[in-house]
Amino acid sequence: MIAVPDFDFWWGLPLLISLLVGSLCPAAGSLLITQRRILLANLMAHSVLPGLVLALAFELDPSLGGLISGLIGALIAEQLTQRFRGREEGAMNTVLAGFTALGVLLVPLLQARVDLESILFGDILASGTPDLIRTAISAIALVLLLIGRYQDLVFIGVDPEGALAAKHPVRQIRFITIVVTALVVISAITAVGIVLVIGLLCAPVLIHVERSTSLKSLMLKSAGTGLLLCGGGMMLAVLGDLPPGPLIGVLCMALLILRRP
Amino acid sequence: MKPSLPDQPPALSAKQLRYGYGEQIAIDGISFALNNGSLTALVGPNGAGKSTLLHLLQGRLRLTSGAVQCNGSIALMPQKAAIDWSFPITVQQMVKLGQPSRQASTPHQCVDSLLEQVGMNGMGSRRLNQLSGGQQQRVLLARALMQNASVLLLDEPCSAIDPPTRAHLLKVMRQQADRGQTLLVSSHDWGKALDSYDRVLVINKQLVANGTPSEVRSTITDMDGMMGDCCA
Repeated sequence: MIAVPDFDFWWGLPLLISLLVGSLCPAAGSLLITQRRILLANLMAHSVLPGLVLALAFELDPSLGGLISGLIGALIAEQLTQRFRGREEGAMNTVLAGFTALGVLLVPLLQARVDLESILFGDILASGTPDLIRTAISAIALVLLLIGRYQDLVFIGVDPEGALAAKHPVRQIRFITIVVTALVVISAITAVGIVLVIGLLCAPVLIHVERSTSLKSLMLKSAGTGLLLCGGGMMLAVLGDLPPGPLIGVLCMALLILRRP
Repeated sequence: MKPSLPDQPPALSAKQLRYGYGEQIAIDGISFALNNGSLTALVGPNGAGKSTLLHLLQGRLRLTSGAVQCNGSIALMPQKAAIDWSFPITVQQMVKLGQPSRQASTPHQCVDSLLEQVGMNGMGSRRLNQLSGGQQQRVLLARALMQNASVLLLDEPCSAIDPPTRAHLLKVMRQQADRGQTLLVSSHDWGKALDSYDRVLVINKQLVANGTPSEVRSTITDMDGMMGDCCA
């Protein structure tokens, strides 16, 4: 008989999820950065908090609560940016802070049994099969968006007014992109948390955006870099007994600082 | 220079166009017609409503009142500022974006020949942010030509480019007009190039003059104070 080595592979599933999230976030981030809507993504990441807390308090699926809450946040931000033209950033950051505060307030108000720290900064080592399913769903949604609307996404990115004039469904595609972003952000919460997900959405994209010759190549290169960041961060966290989310956040920043101009 | 043919129906006609932002009137009762295969200049000082008029003609903006009639399709070459030049895309891919959405695919030769026409042959694989200002204008023109529209509106195609590039773009526009395409070209900076056009429309929210370059020049001399040096 062949003896099977006794590996303690408890971190196998968290590693798999972090690798998937590591490639998904920069792929979605590529769309948002090229459409100059990354602030909206950060807002949505924070806006999922009240929905997550509500869903957990009423024992519902947290991803559904987070999705609805994130979309409401995006909708309110869109309305306010119309009202405060030229001062959009201020309006969006106020909504971001408001939704985060609401989420924090709901915990004592509902006496919810929620580990706020793990939602804010991630807790990948505690992830399980439901997290893997969430990540798979967001990956499928992103792939479907790219298969169906890649050319539209390029047109909207390079010439939004022209895309509108050429009768491309700009509003619908922007809304679908927001929904897909919300799904990706929710799937990334266990890995890096709602505060740190923005680093994973941006850093790998910023490394490649100036040298890529197509949106497709930008997404692939960024996804590869994100995968290495998350995989490396996860392994370093296990070896050093450190929290993976913050470690990945620091690696994202270090990558930008160390990149040659 | 192409003579006007009054018995032929115009390629595009605008009747009593009106448009305003809130209480401010941007376009006030402008009417004109463009003949088939003509090259027309749209002149006016900054803030005269040239871009607004082009956007109204193409349907990007909704008219407050009036009507635009065109038998074929209308394409608009936007101002450079409307494009995100840092977007990761090559010159070839950018030109392909101009193809009508109903058309399934674009042969490479078609894109290559358009790039050759605008003087960008061999530059199809370059990224947009690697191009000079003049090259960017040429790419926008190639993308507009890709649409193969019967009427082509060009918004400040000659702004911030060197005289040789300006002369080349003007030559391409003349070629298109000779092939039967109708072109309306806006600018606030004309110089001697004004004489290269079949007709000139001068606007300042309202239609100030409409005629051949020499006819319009005489009108402009009379209204020097209002127009400044836009046609100097």
